[in-house]
Amino acid sequence: MSAAPSPLATIRATARGYLPRVFQGRGWVLASLVMVPVALSLLIYTVAQTKGGEGGPRPGEALKIFHEVLVKMMLPIMALVAAPAGIREDLEQRTLPLLLVRPAPVWALPLGKGLPWFAWGAAWLIIGTLGLQVIGGDPSLLPGRLAALVSAWWGELALMTLVGLLFKRGTLWGAVYFFLWEPWVRIFPPFLQRLTFTHHIESLAGSRAAEIQTNQLLAQEQVTTHPVFACLALLAFGGLCWALAGWKLHRTAHGLAGNEAEG
Amino acid sequence: MIQLDRASLRYGHILGLSPTSFELPDGGGITGLLGPNGAGKSSLLQLLSGLLPPSGGEVRVFGEAPFRNPAVLARLGLVPEGDRLPTGLRADRWLRMMGELSGLSGEGLNAAVAKALATVGMADRAHLTFARMSKGMRQRIRLAQALMHEPELLILDEPFNGLDPEARLTLMALLRSLAEGGTRILVSSHILGEIAQLTDRILLLFRGRLLAEGTVTEIRQLLDRHPVELRLTGGAQVLARWAVEQPELAALRMEEDAVVLSVRSPRDILPRLQKAAAEGGLPLRALDPLDLNLDAVFQYLTKDHA
Repeated sequence: MSAAPSPLATIRATARGYLPRVFQGRGWVLASLVMVPVALSLLIYTVAQTKGGEGGPRPGEALKIFHEVLVKMMLPIMALVAAPAGIREDLEQRTLPLLLVRPAPVWALPLGKGLPWFAWGAAWLIIGTLGLQVIGGDPSLLPGRLAALVSAWWGELALMTLVGLLFKRGTLWGAVYFFLWEPWVRIFPPFLQRLTFTHHIESLAGSRAAEIQTNQLLAQEQVTTHPVFACLALLAFGGLCWALAGWKLHRTAHGLAGNEAEG
Repeated sequence: MIQLDRASLRYGHILGLSPTSFELPDGGGITGLLGPNGAGKSSLLQLLSGLLPPSGGEVRVFGEAPFRNPAVLARLGLVPEGDRLPTGLRADRWLRMMGELSGLSGEGLNAAVAKALATVGMADRAHLTFARMSKGMRQRIRLAQALMHEPELLILDEPFNGLDPEARLTLMALLRSLAEGGTRILVSSHILGEIAQLTDRILLLFRGRLLAEGTVTEIRQLLDRHPVELRLTGGAQVLARWAVEQPELAALRMEEDAVVLSVRSPRDILPRLQKAAAEGGLPLRALDPLDLNLDAVFQYLTKDHA
Protein backbone atom coordinates (compact mmCIF):
# COMPACT_ATOMS: atom_id res chain seq x y z
CA MET A 1 0.00 0.00 0.00
CA SER A 2 1.37 3.41 -0.95
CA ALA A 3 1.15 6.54 1.21
CA ALA A 4 -1.19 9.36 0.24
CA PRO A 5 0.56 11.98 -1.91
CA SER A 6 1.25 15.44 -0.49
CA PRO A 7 -0.73 18.45 -1.77
CA LEU A 8 2.35 19.60 -3.69
CA ALA A 9 2.81 16.18 -5.28
CA THR A 10 -0.90 16.20 -6.18
CA ILE A 11 -0.70 19.62 -7.82
CA ARG A 12 2.47 18.63 -9.68
CA ALA A 13 1.05 15.30 -10.87
CA THR A 14 -2.24 16.82 -12.02
CA ALA A 15 -0.58 19.75 -13.77
CA ARG A 16 1.88 17.45 -15.55
CA GLY A 17 -0.83 14.93 -16.40
CA TYR A 18 -3.15 17.46 -18.01
CA LEU A 19 -0.43 19.60 -19.60
CA PRO A 20 -0.93 18.06 -23.09
CA ARG A 21 -4.48 19.46 -23.13
CA VAL A 22 -3.21 23.01 -23.55
CA PHE A 23 -1.46 22.10 -26.82
CA GLN A 24 -4.76 21.04 -28.34
CA GLY A 25 -7.61 22.99 -29.94
CA ARG A 26 -8.75 24.97 -26.94
CA GLY A 27 -5.18 25.95 -26.13
CA TRP A 28 -4.64 27.39 -29.60
CA VAL A 29 -7.94 29.27 -29.38
CA LEU A 30 -6.61 30.77 -26.18
CA ALA A 31 -3.35 31.75 -27.87
CA SER A 32 -5.17 33.25 -30.83
CA LEU A 33 -7.32 35.42 -28.58
CA VAL A 34 -4.16 37.26 -27.60
CA MET A 35 -2.17 36.99 -30.76
CA VAL A 36 -4.78 37.78 -33.44
CA PRO A 37 -5.38 41.41 -32.34
CA VAL A 38 -1.69 41.94 -31.65
CA ALA A 39 -0.67 40.38 -34.96
CA LEU A 40 -3.29 42.44 -36.83
CA SER A 41 -1.99 45.62 -35.23
CA LEU A 42 1.55 44.67 -36.14
CA LEU A 43 0.48 43.92 -39.70
CA ILE A 44 -1.32 47.25 -40.06
CA TYR A 45 1.65 49.02 -38.51
CA THR A 46 4.09 47.26 -40.84
CA VAL A 47 1.98 47.96 -43.92
CA ALA A 48 1.70 51.61 -42.89
CA GLN A 49 5.44 51.78 -42.44
CA THR A 50 6.21 50.23 -45.80
CA LYS A 51 3.69 52.46 -47.57
CA GLY A 52 5.53 55.40 -46.16
CA GLY A 53 2.68 56.65 -44.01
CA GLU A 54 3.08 58.30 -40.68
CA GLY A 55 6.38 56.95 -39.52
CA GLY A 56 7.55 56.17 -36.03
CA PRO A 57 6.02 54.32 -33.11
CA ARG A 58 2.38 54.79 -32.16
CA PRO A 59 2.09 54.62 -28.37
CA GLY A 60 -1.56 55.63 -28.43
CA GLU A 61 -2.39 52.65 -30.60
CA ALA A 62 -0.54 50.24 -28.33
CA LEU A 63 -2.26 51.72 -25.30
CA LYS A 64 -5.65 51.32 -26.91
CA ILE A 65 -5.09 47.71 -27.93
CA PHE A 66 -3.79 46.86 -24.47
CA HIS A 67 -6.70 48.36 -22.54
CA GLU A 68 -9.61 48.15 -24.93
CA VAL A 69 -8.86 44.81 -26.57
CA LEU A 70 -6.62 42.70 -24.36
CA VAL A 71 -7.82 43.79 -20.92
CA LYS A 72 -11.49 44.46 -21.58
CA MET A 73 -12.27 41.77 -24.12
CA MET A 74 -9.67 39.09 -24.58
CA LEU A 75 -8.66 38.48 -20.98
CA PRO A 76 -12.24 37.74 -19.83
CA ILE A 77 -12.91 35.63 -22.94
CA MET A 78 -9.72 33.68 -22.24
CA ALA A 79 -10.94 32.96 -18.71
CA LEU A 80 -14.35 31.93 -20.06
CA VAL A 81 -12.67 29.60 -22.57
CA ALA A 82 -10.00 28.09 -20.32
CA ALA A 83 -11.85 27.57 -17.04
CA PRO A 84 -14.32 24.98 -18.41
CA ALA A 85 -11.30 22.91 -19.45
CA GLY A 86 -10.18 22.78 -15.83
CA ILE A 87 -11.80 20.69 -13.13
CA ARG A 88 -15.22 21.57 -14.54
CA GLU A 89 -14.38 19.43 -17.58
CA ASP A 90 -13.96 16.33 -15.39
CA LEU A 91 -17.25 17.12 -13.74
CA GLU A 92 -19.07 17.36 -17.07
CA GLN A 93 -17.31 14.40 -18.69
CA ARG A 94 -17.95 12.39 -15.51
CA THR A 95 -14.30 11.47 -15.20
CA LEU A 96 -14.08 13.18 -11.82
CA PRO A 97 -14.76 9.95 -9.85
CA LEU A 98 -11.54 8.51 -11.24
CA LEU A 99 -9.68 11.36 -9.51
CA LEU A 100 -11.79 11.34 -6.37
CA VAL A 101 -11.17 7.67 -5.54
CA ARG A 102 -7.47 8.43 -5.16
CA PRO A 103 -5.97 9.13 -1.75
CA ALA A 104 -4.71 12.53 -3.01
CA PRO A 105 -6.08 15.68 -1.34
CA VAL A 106 -9.16 16.63 -3.34
CA TRP A 107 -8.84 20.36 -2.64
CA ALA A 108 -5.57 20.48 -4.60
CA LEU A 109 -7.12 19.18 -7.83
CA PRO A 110 -8.66 22.43 -9.20
CA LEU A 111 -5.36 24.27 -8.87
CA GLY A 112 -3.41 21.35 -10.32
CA LYS A 113 -5.69 21.22 -13.34
CA GLY A 114 -5.77 24.98 -13.73
CA LEU A 115 -2.03 25.59 -13.60
CA PRO A 116 -1.22 24.40 -17.15
CA TRP A 117 -3.91 26.74 -18.49
CA PHE A 118 -2.60 29.58 -16.39
CA ALA A 119 0.97 29.02 -17.58
CA TRP A 120 -0.09 28.69 -21.23
CA GLY A 121 -2.28 31.80 -21.17
CA ALA A 122 0.31 33.82 -19.24
CA ALA A 123 2.99 32.91 -21.79
CA TRP A 124 0.85 34.20 -24.67
CA LEU A 125 -0.15 37.32 -22.76
CA ILE A 126 3.53 38.09 -22.21
CA ILE A 127 4.34 37.48 -25.88
CA GLY A 128 1.38 39.64 -26.93
CA THR A 129 2.38 42.49 -24.64
CA LEU A 130 5.94 42.35 -25.92
CA GLY A 131 4.53 42.43 -29.46
CA LEU A 132 2.72 45.67 -28.64
CA GLN A 133 6.09 47.23 -27.80
CA VAL A 134 6.96 47.01 -31.48
CA ILE A 135 4.03 49.29 -32.31
CA GLY A 136 5.20 51.77 -29.77
CA GLY A 137 4.38 50.72 -26.24
CA ASP A 138 5.98 52.86 -23.55
CA PRO A 139 8.99 50.82 -22.27
CA SER A 140 8.61 52.28 -18.78
CA LEU A 141 5.06 50.84 -18.58
CA LEU A 142 6.05 47.38 -19.82
CA PRO A 143 6.75 45.73 -16.42
CA GLY A 144 3.47 47.07 -15.07
CA ARG A 145 1.52 45.86 -18.08
CA LEU A 146 3.07 42.41 -17.88
CA ALA A 147 2.36 42.18 -14.16
CA ALA A 148 -1.19 43.47 -14.70
CA LEU A 149 -2.07 40.95 -17.39
CA VAL A 150 -0.47 37.96 -15.70
CA SER A 151 -1.87 38.66 -12.25
CA ALA A 152 -5.31 39.52 -13.66
CA TRP A 153 -5.24 36.32 -15.72
CA TRP A 154 -4.43 34.39 -12.51
CA GLY A 155 -7.37 36.01 -10.74
CA GLU A 156 -9.88 35.75 -13.57
CA LEU A 157 -9.06 32.11 -14.32
CA ALA A 158 -9.37 31.23 -10.64
CA LEU A 159 -12.65 33.13 -10.36
CA MET A 160 -14.11 31.35 -13.36
CA THR A 161 -12.96 27.97 -12.01
CA LEU A 162 -14.74 28.70 -8.75
CA VAL A 163 -17.87 29.99 -10.50
CA GLY A 164 -17.85 26.85 -12.66
CA LEU A 165 -17.98 24.70 -9.53
CA LEU A 166 -20.57 26.85 -7.79
CA PHE A 167 -23.04 27.21 -10.65
CA LYS A 168 -24.23 24.89 -13.34
CA ARG A 169 -24.15 27.77 -15.83
CA GLY A 170 -20.84 29.14 -14.62
CA THR A 171 -19.78 30.48 -17.99
CA LEU A 172 -22.96 32.53 -18.24
CA TRP A 173 -22.49 34.03 -14.78
CA GLY A 174 -18.85 34.70 -15.58
CA ALA A 175 -19.82 36.53 -18.75
CA VAL A 176 -22.38 38.56 -16.82
CA TYR A 177 -19.69 39.55 -14.33
CA PHE A 178 -17.06 40.45 -16.89
CA PHE A 179 -19.23 42.20 -19.43
CA LEU A 180 -21.96 43.73 -17.29
CA TRP A 181 -20.33 44.48 -13.95
CA GLU A 182 -16.78 45.43 -14.93
CA PRO A 183 -17.73 48.22 -17.40
CA TRP A 184 -19.50 50.04 -14.55
CA VAL A 185 -16.11 50.75 -13.04
CA ARG A 186 -16.20 54.23 -14.61
CA ILE A 187 -19.23 55.27 -12.62
CA PHE A 188 -18.61 53.27 -9.48
CA PRO A 189 -17.78 55.06 -6.25
CA PRO A 190 -14.18 54.41 -5.12
CA PHE A 191 -14.83 51.40 -2.89
CA LEU A 192 -16.75 49.61 -5.67
CA GLN A 193 -14.03 50.45 -8.20
CA ARG A 194 -11.72 48.35 -6.06
CA LEU A 195 -14.01 45.36 -6.55
CA THR A 196 -13.18 45.18 -10.26
CA PHE A 197 -10.29 43.66 -12.12
CA THR A 198 -10.16 46.76 -14.32
CA HIS A 199 -9.25 48.98 -11.38
CA HIS A 200 -6.31 46.81 -10.35
CA ILE A 201 -5.12 46.33 -13.91
CA GLU A 202 -5.18 50.08 -14.54
CA SER A 203 -3.41 50.71 -11.25
CA LEU A 204 -0.66 48.34 -12.35
CA ALA A 205 -0.48 49.25 -16.03
CA GLY A 206 -0.34 52.90 -15.15
CA SER A 207 -2.95 54.38 -17.41
CA ARG A 208 -6.57 54.43 -18.41
CA ALA A 209 -7.01 53.70 -22.07
CA ALA A 210 -9.42 56.36 -23.16
CA GLU A 211 -10.63 59.73 -22.15
CA ILE A 212 -13.93 60.01 -20.34
CA GLN A 213 -16.57 60.45 -22.99
CA THR A 214 -19.15 63.22 -22.90
CA ASN A 215 -21.94 60.70 -22.62
CA GLN A 216 -20.46 59.36 -19.39
CA LEU A 217 -22.07 62.04 -17.27
CA LEU A 218 -22.00 59.89 -14.19
CA ALA A 219 -18.30 59.15 -14.46
CA GLN A 220 -16.55 59.14 -11.12
CA GLU A 221 -13.05 60.17 -10.33
CA GLN A 222 -10.69 57.28 -10.95
CA VAL A 223 -9.05 56.04 -7.77
CA THR A 224 -5.72 54.30 -7.87
CA THR A 225 -4.12 51.65 -5.73
CA HIS A 226 -0.38 51.35 -5.31
CA PRO A 227 0.85 48.95 -8.02
CA VAL A 228 2.37 46.56 -5.50
CA PHE A 229 -0.90 46.36 -3.57
CA ALA A 230 -2.89 46.03 -6.79
CA CYS A 231 -0.70 43.13 -7.89
CA LEU A 232 -0.91 41.52 -4.45
CA ALA A 233 -4.67 41.98 -4.43
CA LEU A 234 -5.06 40.19 -7.75
CA LEU A 235 -2.74 37.36 -6.72
CA ALA A 236 -4.42 37.02 -3.33
CA PHE A 237 -7.88 37.08 -4.91
CA GLY A 238 -6.81 34.34 -7.31
CA GLY A 239 -5.36 32.31 -4.48
CA LEU A 240 -8.56 32.71 -2.50
CA CYS A 241 -10.65 31.58 -5.47
CA TRP A 242 -8.45 28.49 -6.01
CA ALA A 243 -8.74 27.68 -2.32
CA LEU A 244 -12.52 28.10 -2.37
CA ALA A 245 -12.77 25.95 -5.51
CA GLY A 246 -10.76 23.25 -3.74
CA TRP A 247 -12.93 23.55 -0.64
CA LYS A 248 -16.10 23.32 -2.73
CA LEU A 249 -14.83 20.23 -4.53
CA HIS A 250 -13.77 18.61 -1.28
CA ARG A 251 -17.08 19.29 0.44
CA THR A 252 -19.35 18.23 -2.40
CA ALA A 253 -20.04 14.58 -3.03
CA HIS A 254 -19.73 13.75 -6.72
CA GLY A 255 -21.07 10.39 -7.73
CA LEU A 256 -20.65 8.35 -10.87
CA ALA A 257 -23.70 9.88 -12.49
CA GLY A 258 -22.62 13.39 -11.61
CA ASN A 259 -25.46 13.63 -9.13
CA GLU A 260 -24.97 14.87 -5.65
CA ALA A 261 -26.42 12.67 -2.98
CA GLU A 262 -27.85 13.89 0.30
CA GLY A 263 -24.78 12.97 2.27
CA MET B 1 -13.23 -5.68 5.31
CA ILE B 2 -16.63 -4.17 4.44
CA GLN B 3 -19.36 -3.40 6.95
CA LEU B 4 -22.64 -1.68 6.24
CA ASP B 5 -24.90 -0.86 9.15
CA ARG B 6 -28.27 0.37 7.93
CA ALA B 7 -26.49 2.46 5.32
CA SER B 8 -28.79 4.28 2.93
CA LEU B 9 -28.38 6.73 0.09
CA ARG B 10 -30.76 9.37 -1.19
CA TYR B 11 -30.56 11.52 -4.31
CA GLY B 12 -32.74 14.39 -3.24
CA HIS B 13 -36.17 12.81 -2.81
CA ILE B 14 -35.22 9.62 -4.60
CA LEU B 15 -34.10 6.70 -2.52
CA GLY B 16 -31.07 5.11 -4.18
CA LEU B 17 -30.45 2.51 -1.50
CA SER B 18 -32.71 1.55 1.39
CA PRO B 19 -31.10 0.99 4.80
CA THR B 20 -28.82 -1.95 4.13
CA SER B 21 -26.64 -4.04 6.39
CA PHE B 22 -24.11 -6.70 5.48
CA GLU B 23 -20.49 -7.64 5.99
CA LEU B 24 -17.80 -8.99 3.74
CA PRO B 25 -14.89 -10.68 5.48
CA ASP B 26 -11.18 -10.00 4.96
CA GLY B 27 -9.24 -11.98 2.40
CA GLY B 28 -9.54 -12.63 -1.30
CA GLY B 29 -12.56 -13.75 -3.23
CA ILE B 30 -15.15 -12.51 -5.66
CA THR B 31 -18.58 -11.31 -4.65
CA GLY B 32 -21.13 -10.55 -7.31
CA LEU B 33 -23.47 -7.65 -6.84
CA LEU B 34 -26.53 -8.53 -8.80
CA GLY B 35 -29.69 -6.70 -9.64
CA PRO B 36 -31.66 -5.25 -12.54
CA ASN B 37 -31.06 -1.70 -13.73
CA GLY B 38 -32.02 0.76 -11.01
CA ALA B 39 -31.64 -1.82 -8.23
CA GLY B 40 -29.13 0.30 -6.33
CA LYS B 41 -25.91 -1.46 -7.35
CA SER B 42 -24.06 1.69 -8.36
CA SER B 43 -25.33 3.49 -5.25
CA LEU B 44 -23.88 0.75 -3.07
CA LEU B 45 -20.58 0.78 -4.95
CA GLN B 46 -20.35 4.55 -4.64
CA LEU B 47 -20.80 4.28 -0.89
CA LEU B 48 -18.11 1.62 -0.64
CA SER B 49 -15.64 3.46 -2.85
CA GLY B 50 -16.01 6.67 -0.87
CA LEU B 51 -17.48 8.73 -3.72
CA LEU B 52 -20.65 9.45 -1.77
CA PRO B 53 -21.27 9.55 1.97
CA PRO B 54 -24.26 7.60 3.25
CA SER B 55 -27.47 9.60 3.81
CA GLY B 56 -28.09 7.46 6.87
CA GLY B 57 -26.43 4.62 8.74
CA GLU B 58 -22.78 3.75 8.57
CA VAL B 59 -20.37 2.45 5.94
CA ARG B 60 -17.00 1.05 7.00
CA VAL B 61 -14.29 -0.20 4.71
CA PHE B 62 -11.11 -1.49 6.38
CA GLY B 63 -12.72 -0.34 9.62
CA GLU B 64 -13.10 3.33 8.59
CA ALA B 65 -15.61 5.54 6.79
CA PRO B 66 -14.39 5.71 3.17
CA PHE B 67 -15.71 9.14 2.08
CA ARG B 68 -12.69 11.45 1.47
CA ASN B 69 -10.58 9.14 3.61
CA PRO B 70 -7.07 8.70 2.11
CA ALA B 71 -6.28 5.75 4.39
CA VAL B 72 -9.16 3.79 2.85
CA LEU B 73 -8.83 5.11 -0.69
CA ALA B 74 -5.16 4.06 -0.83
CA ARG B 75 -6.29 0.45 -0.36
CA LEU B 76 -9.11 0.26 -2.90
CA GLY B 77 -9.46 0.50 -6.65
CA LEU B 78 -12.58 1.42 -8.59
CA VAL B 79 -13.51 0.67 -12.18
CA PRO B 80 -16.60 2.82 -12.73
CA GLU B 81 -19.32 1.99 -15.20
CA GLY B 82 -19.33 3.55 -18.63
CA ASP B 83 -16.84 4.55 -21.24
CA ARG B 84 -15.55 7.70 -19.64
CA LEU B 85 -11.95 8.80 -19.86
CA PRO B 86 -10.48 12.29 -20.21
CA THR B 87 -10.29 13.50 -23.78
CA GLY B 88 -7.03 14.30 -25.49
CA LEU B 89 -4.68 12.39 -23.22
CA ARG B 90 -2.36 9.46 -23.85
CA ALA B 91 -3.09 6.36 -21.81
CA ASP B 92 0.43 5.85 -20.46
CA ARG B 93 0.80 9.46 -19.31
CA TRP B 94 -2.66 9.45 -17.76
CA LEU B 95 -1.83 6.24 -15.92
CA ARG B 96 1.35 7.81 -14.58
CA MET B 97 -0.71 10.68 -13.22
CA MET B 98 -3.19 8.30 -11.61
CA GLY B 99 -0.29 6.40 -10.09
CA GLU B 100 1.17 9.60 -8.66
CA LEU B 101 -2.24 10.50 -7.24
CA SER B 102 -2.23 7.11 -5.56
CA GLY B 103 1.06 7.96 -3.87
CA LEU B 104 3.44 6.14 -6.21
CA SER B 105 6.65 7.79 -7.37
CA GLY B 106 10.04 7.14 -8.97
CA GLU B 107 10.94 3.61 -9.95
CA GLY B 108 7.94 2.23 -8.08
CA LEU B 109 5.66 4.29 -10.32
CA ASN B 110 7.39 3.16 -13.51
CA ALA B 111 7.19 -0.46 -12.43
CA ALA B 112 3.53 -0.11 -11.41
CA VAL B 113 2.54 1.44 -14.76
CA ALA B 114 4.43 -1.25 -16.69
CA LYS B 115 2.95 -4.05 -14.59
CA ALA B 116 -0.61 -2.76 -14.81
CA LEU B 117 -0.36 -2.34 -18.59
CA ALA B 118 1.10 -5.81 -18.97
CA THR B 119 -1.63 -7.29 -16.77
CA VAL B 120 -4.39 -5.88 -18.95
CA GLY B 121 -2.50 -6.62 -22.17
CA MET B 122 -2.03 -3.01 -23.22
CA ALA B 123 1.74 -2.59 -22.90
CA ASP B 124 2.27 -2.06 -26.62
CA ARG B 125 -0.70 0.26 -27.18
CA ALA B 126 -0.48 2.53 -24.18
CA HIS B 127 1.02 5.37 -26.23
CA LEU B 128 -2.31 5.89 -27.99
CA THR B 129 -4.73 8.64 -26.99
CA PHE B 130 -8.08 7.50 -25.61
CA ALA B 131 -9.84 8.78 -28.72
CA ARG B 132 -7.83 6.35 -30.87
CA MET B 133 -8.63 3.34 -28.69
CA SER B 134 -11.47 0.87 -29.07
CA LYS B 135 -14.04 0.52 -26.31
CA GLY B 136 -12.43 -2.70 -25.14
CA MET B 137 -9.00 -1.07 -24.99
CA ARG B 138 -10.37 1.81 -22.95
CA GLN B 139 -12.00 -0.65 -20.57
CA ARG B 140 -8.63 -2.33 -20.07
CA ILE B 141 -7.03 1.02 -19.29
CA ARG B 142 -9.78 1.73 -16.77
CA LEU B 143 -8.97 -1.58 -15.16
CA ALA B 144 -5.25 -0.81 -15.23
CA GLN B 145 -5.76 2.46 -13.33
CA ALA B 146 -7.57 0.54 -10.60
CA LEU B 147 -4.86 -2.13 -10.35
CA MET B 148 -1.77 0.09 -10.36
CA HIS B 149 -1.50 0.55 -6.64
CA GLU B 150 -2.31 -3.11 -5.94
CA PRO B 151 -5.51 -2.50 -3.99
CA GLU B 152 -6.78 -4.97 -1.43
CA LEU B 153 -10.36 -4.23 -2.48
CA LEU B 154 -11.24 -3.92 -6.15
CA ILE B 155 -14.68 -2.59 -7.04
CA LEU B 156 -15.96 -3.00 -10.59
CA ASP B 157 -19.25 -1.53 -11.78
CA GLU B 158 -20.63 -3.39 -14.80
CA PRO B 159 -17.13 -4.14 -16.12
CA PHE B 160 -18.27 -6.46 -18.91
CA ASN B 161 -20.46 -3.91 -20.70
CA GLY B 162 -19.28 -3.36 -24.23
CA LEU B 163 -16.64 -6.08 -24.17
CA ASP B 164 -16.49 -8.76 -26.85
CA PRO B 165 -16.73 -12.41 -25.71
CA GLU B 166 -12.97 -12.93 -25.83
CA ALA B 167 -12.30 -9.81 -23.78
CA ARG B 168 -14.94 -10.93 -21.26
CA LEU B 169 -13.25 -14.26 -20.78
CA THR B 170 -9.86 -12.58 -20.44
CA LEU B 171 -11.23 -10.17 -17.84
CA MET B 172 -12.90 -13.00 -15.93
CA ALA B 173 -9.66 -14.98 -15.87
CA LEU B 174 -7.81 -11.90 -14.66
CA LEU B 175 -10.32 -11.28 -11.87
CA ARG B 176 -10.12 -14.91 -10.76
CA SER B 177 -6.33 -14.78 -10.60
CA LEU B 178 -6.46 -11.53 -8.62
CA ALA B 179 -8.93 -13.07 -6.20
CA GLU B 180 -6.70 -16.10 -5.77
CA GLY B 181 -3.86 -13.70 -5.04
CA GLY B 182 -5.75 -12.28 -2.06
CA THR B 183 -7.66 -9.36 -3.59
CA ARG B 184 -11.27 -8.98 -2.50
CA ILE B 185 -13.30 -8.21 -5.62
CA LEU B 186 -16.79 -6.80 -5.69
CA VAL B 187 -18.25 -6.86 -9.18
CA SER B 188 -21.67 -5.61 -10.17
CA SER B 189 -23.73 -6.73 -13.12
CA HIS B 190 -27.32 -6.99 -14.22
CA ILE B 191 -26.48 -10.03 -16.34
CA LEU B 192 -26.85 -13.23 -14.34
CA GLY B 193 -24.65 -15.33 -16.59
CA GLU B 194 -21.65 -13.08 -16.08
CA ILE B 195 -21.85 -13.29 -12.33
CA ALA B 196 -22.63 -17.02 -12.40
CA GLN B 197 -19.47 -17.65 -14.42
CA LEU B 198 -17.39 -15.60 -12.05
CA THR B 199 -18.56 -16.46 -8.58
CA ASP B 200 -21.12 -18.29 -6.49
CA ARG B 201 -21.21 -15.68 -3.73
CA ILE B 202 -23.70 -12.90 -4.43
CA LEU B 203 -25.41 -9.88 -3.01
CA LEU B 204 -28.81 -9.50 -4.61
CA LEU B 205 -30.29 -6.02 -4.84
CA PHE B 206 -33.75 -5.08 -6.04
CA ARG B 207 -35.40 -1.66 -5.99
CA GLY B 208 -32.81 -0.25 -3.63
CA ARG B 209 -33.05 -3.14 -1.15
CA LEU B 210 -30.66 -5.94 -0.37
CA LEU B 211 -32.80 -9.05 -0.89
CA ALA B 212 -30.29 -11.79 -0.24
CA GLU B 213 -26.66 -12.47 0.52
CA GLY B 214 -24.67 -15.68 0.34
CA THR B 215 -24.03 -18.48 -2.13
CA VAL B 216 -26.70 -19.42 -4.64
CA THR B 217 -27.36 -22.68 -2.78
CA GLU B 218 -27.63 -20.94 0.58
CA ILE B 219 -30.07 -18.39 -0.78
CA ARG B 220 -32.09 -21.05 -2.62
CA GLN B 221 -32.56 -23.01 0.59
CA LEU B 222 -34.07 -19.96 2.22
CA LEU B 223 -36.75 -19.73 -0.43
CA ASP B 224 -39.27 -22.03 1.29
CA ARG B 225 -42.19 -20.70 -0.73
CA HIS B 226 -40.68 -22.03 -3.91
CA PRO B 227 -40.26 -25.84 -3.95
CA VAL B 228 -37.20 -27.05 -5.85
CA GLU B 229 -37.92 -28.42 -9.29
CA LEU B 230 -36.22 -31.67 -10.28
CA ARG B 231 -36.52 -33.27 -13.71
CA LEU B 232 -36.25 -37.04 -13.64
CA THR B 233 -35.62 -38.53 -17.08
CA GLY B 234 -36.36 -42.17 -17.75
CA GLY B 235 -39.55 -44.20 -17.44
CA ALA B 236 -41.89 -41.33 -16.71
CA GLN B 237 -44.87 -43.42 -15.60
CA VAL B 238 -42.87 -45.47 -13.08
CA LEU B 239 -41.05 -42.42 -11.77
CA ALA B 240 -44.32 -40.54 -11.32
CA ARG B 241 -45.86 -43.48 -9.41
CA TRP B 242 -42.86 -43.51 -7.07
CA ALA B 243 -42.95 -39.74 -6.64
CA VAL B 244 -46.60 -39.44 -5.57
CA GLU B 245 -45.83 -41.64 -2.57
CA GLN B 246 -43.18 -39.22 -1.28
CA PRO B 247 -44.32 -36.79 1.45
CA GLU B 248 -42.05 -33.97 0.18
CA LEU B 249 -43.82 -33.75 -3.18
CA ALA B 250 -45.65 -30.50 -3.77
CA ALA B 251 -46.45 -30.83 -7.47
CA LEU B 252 -45.80 -33.08 -10.41
CA ARG B 253 -45.68 -32.39 -14.15
CA MET B 254 -45.39 -34.97 -16.87
CA GLU B 255 -43.12 -34.40 -19.87
CA GLU B 256 -42.19 -36.66 -22.76
CA ASP B 257 -39.87 -39.30 -21.30
CA ALA B 258 -39.51 -37.29 -18.08
CA VAL B 259 -41.32 -36.15 -14.99
CA VAL B 260 -40.78 -32.81 -13.24
CA LEU B 261 -41.19 -32.88 -9.47
CA SER B 262 -41.63 -29.87 -7.21
CA VAL B 263 -40.28 -30.93 -3.83
CA ARG B 264 -40.12 -29.01 -0.57
CA SER B 265 -37.12 -30.69 0.94
CA PRO B 266 -34.75 -32.05 -1.71
CA ARG B 267 -32.21 -33.07 0.94
CA ASP B 268 -34.66 -35.66 2.26
CA ILE B 269 -36.04 -36.99 -0.98
CA LEU B 270 -32.77 -37.22 -2.94
CA PRO B 271 -31.14 -39.99 -0.82
CA ARG B 272 -34.31 -42.10 -1.18
CA LEU B 273 -34.40 -41.49 -4.92
CA GLN B 274 -30.73 -42.42 -5.21
CA LYS B 275 -31.28 -45.60 -3.20
CA ALA B 276 -34.30 -46.67 -5.23
CA ALA B 277 -32.49 -46.06 -8.51
CA ALA B 278 -29.40 -47.96 -7.31
CA GLU B 279 -31.52 -50.95 -6.30
CA GLY B 280 -32.95 -51.07 -9.81
CA GLY B 281 -36.47 -50.15 -8.76
CA LEU B 282 -36.58 -46.94 -10.80
CA PRO B 283 -35.77 -46.50 -14.51
CA LEU B 284 -33.89 -43.23 -13.91
CA ARG B 285 -31.44 -42.08 -16.60
CA ALA B 286 -30.83 -38.47 -15.54
CA LEU B 287 -31.59 -36.06 -12.73
CA ASP B 288 -31.54 -32.30 -13.41
CA PRO B 289 -32.28 -29.64 -10.81
CA LEU B 290 -34.15 -26.95 -12.79
CA ASP B 291 -34.09 -24.04 -10.40
CA LEU B 292 -31.00 -24.45 -8.30
CA ASN B 293 -29.23 -21.79 -10.32
CA LEU B 294 -28.76 -18.05 -10.03
CA ASP B 295 -31.32 -17.28 -12.68
CA ALA B 296 -34.08 -19.07 -10.78
CA VAL B 297 -33.07 -17.60 -7.45
CA PHE B 298 -33.12 -14.16 -8.98
CA GLN B 299 -36.53 -14.70 -10.57
CA TYR B 300 -38.09 -15.98 -7.32
CA LEU B 301 -36.65 -13.21 -5.19
CA THR B 302 -37.59 -10.37 -7.49
CA LYS B 303 -41.07 -11.83 -8.05
CA ASP B 304 -41.64 -12.13 -4.31
CA HIS B 305 -40.58 -8.54 -3.70
CA ALA B 306 -42.14 -6.92 -6.72
